[in-house]
Amino acid sequence: MTPWEALALLLLLFTGVLVVTLKNAIHAALALIGNFLILAGIYVALEARFLGFIQIIVYAGAIVVLFLFVIMLLYAAQGEVGFDPLVRSRPLAALLALGAALVLLSGLWGVNLAFAKDLKGGLPQALGPLLYGDWLFVLLAVGFLLMAATVVAVALVQPTRPLDALSPEERKEEKEVVR
Amino acid sequence: MNPYPLDPYWMVALKALLVVVGLLTAFAFMTLIERRLLARFQIRLGPNRVGPLGLFQPIADAIKSIFKEDLVVERADKVLFVLAPLIGVVFALLAFGAIPFGPPGSFFGYQPWVLNLDLGLLYLFAVSEMAIYGIFLAGWASGSKYSLLGSLRSSASLISYELGLGMALLSPVLLVGSLNLNDLVNWQKEHGWLILYAFPAFLLYAIAALAEAARTPFDLPEAEQELVGGYHTEYSSIKWALFQMTEYIHFITASALIPTLFLGGWTMPFLEVPYLWMFLKIAFFLFLFIWIRATWFRLRYDQLLRFGWGFLFPVALVWFLVTALVVALDLPRSYLLYLSLAAFLALLGAMMYSPKPARKGGGA
Repeated sequence: MTPWEALALLLLLFTGVLVVTLKNAIHAALALIGNFLILAGIYVALEARFLGFIQIIVYAGAIVVLFLFVIMLLYAAQGEVGFDPLVRSRPLAALLALGAALVLLSGLWGVNLAFAKDLKGGLPQALGPLLYGDWLFVLLAVGFLLMAATVVAVALVQPTRPLDALSPEERKEEKEVVR
Repeated sequence: MNPYPLDPYWMVALKALLVVVGLLTAFAFMTLIERRLLARFQIRLGPNRVGPLGLFQPIADAIKSIFKEDLVVERADKVLFVLAPLIGVVFALLAFGAIPFGPPGSFFGYQPWVLNLDLGLLYLFAVSEMAIYGIFLAGWASGSKYSLLGSLRSSASLISYELGLGMALLSPVLLVGSLNLNDLVNWQKEHGWLILYAFPAFLLYAIAALAEAARTPFDLPEAEQELVGGYHTEYSSIKWALFQMTEYIHFITASALIPTLFLGGWTMPFLEVPYLWMFLKIAFFLFLFIWIRATWFRLRYDQLLRFGWGFLFPVALVWFLVTALVVALDLPRSYLLYLSLAAFLALLGAMMYSPKPARKGGGA
């Protein structure tokens, strides 16, 4: 392991720990941006340049902006307000995280990382035909999964009746649930 | 794989310094130019007291903003409050270096660009998206309602217009087959400017770039009638000046990027002088955007979002599909020229077409 790799690893772990331990949700989101930027740097260093830039544009850009938008809109930045829905669940969470890490590691077992195709430094000119040729159906399947998730999310937040058709008591109840 | 020559590192560092100093000087004088031009549009004089023709006004402004009291409000998040303007300025400055200003070797034997990336366009996207965090965090860190509203608006418009921006750029990228800015310019030198092949994309990109730089008609994040000062309400002295700097650098970068992508960059069909045409094109777009600011109204917030999602994005998508069809079926590229012309004529027709509202049911 070269010093640069060690530095990147340490920074990744450090920002990752910050994301889950910081009390203020905005600070946690900023740590997440830092994490994504370092990850993008690692991708570029590994000659996966397109992936690196996409990591910044999609994740560090669009998705964290959405996170921040929701956090700001709901005044959810304070860690010390409200109630804790998951009492004494930290050990369980740690156990689950460890389990997930083990599953991911076992997936790496016996995988031959030497890739046969020349991707020309991960440029889209080389990546595109591969992604939309050999892996077309995988791509479509992933797109379908994402669309299904979107449809479910929209269906979940639909009220049973339009909001203006609710009686005053029901509307009050609705508000209680939201809080 | 990159066919363009490379510079030694000391030269790259020197050019980066030159870009930063140049942009900061340009920012200082753009404030003066903008105020003088706005005054001209509004039939008044504008700043003309400091020095000949008011030329020393930026220096006076700089001295004033440096020596004013620097306040950090009590409810502010102290670290982010200081960090936010710095994030904005740094990422705004990063973008400009990727734009080529001439053919290889025309900068005293070196290259007239700081960065030449294979994924130049993606780099510009990434950097300009990160720069929004400056505005965004400033609004939240101020601990004030007005600031927060300003930053919420900026993030909503960013999310709405980023998609249209990217989609509008896809058609020139498809035609050229590269994301490298030098490739884009060289293709235009050979085949003709991309505005001729993708007029709708050019128009949509210019509009979305205005929104991205938060200029009038899209300057909702700092609408002073509604939000005091928007995201920089609580900022004073040099930190406030840094926000102004960010905004103007975005503005200048957008004005340089539009000609690079659609108007042939530094090339010109006649009288090829590398730097001259680039600077003239930048100046033209700067003037155009100031003109728009002087004459156009600010959109309402819901109108802004509806325009972004309901018009800009679908039109960009349709034009992208048209271009993709031409490229995929390997039709002659001149079809796009005719289609662009048709789009231009349709736009002209839509501008001319203003039917009188007729009263329903007859009568006067």
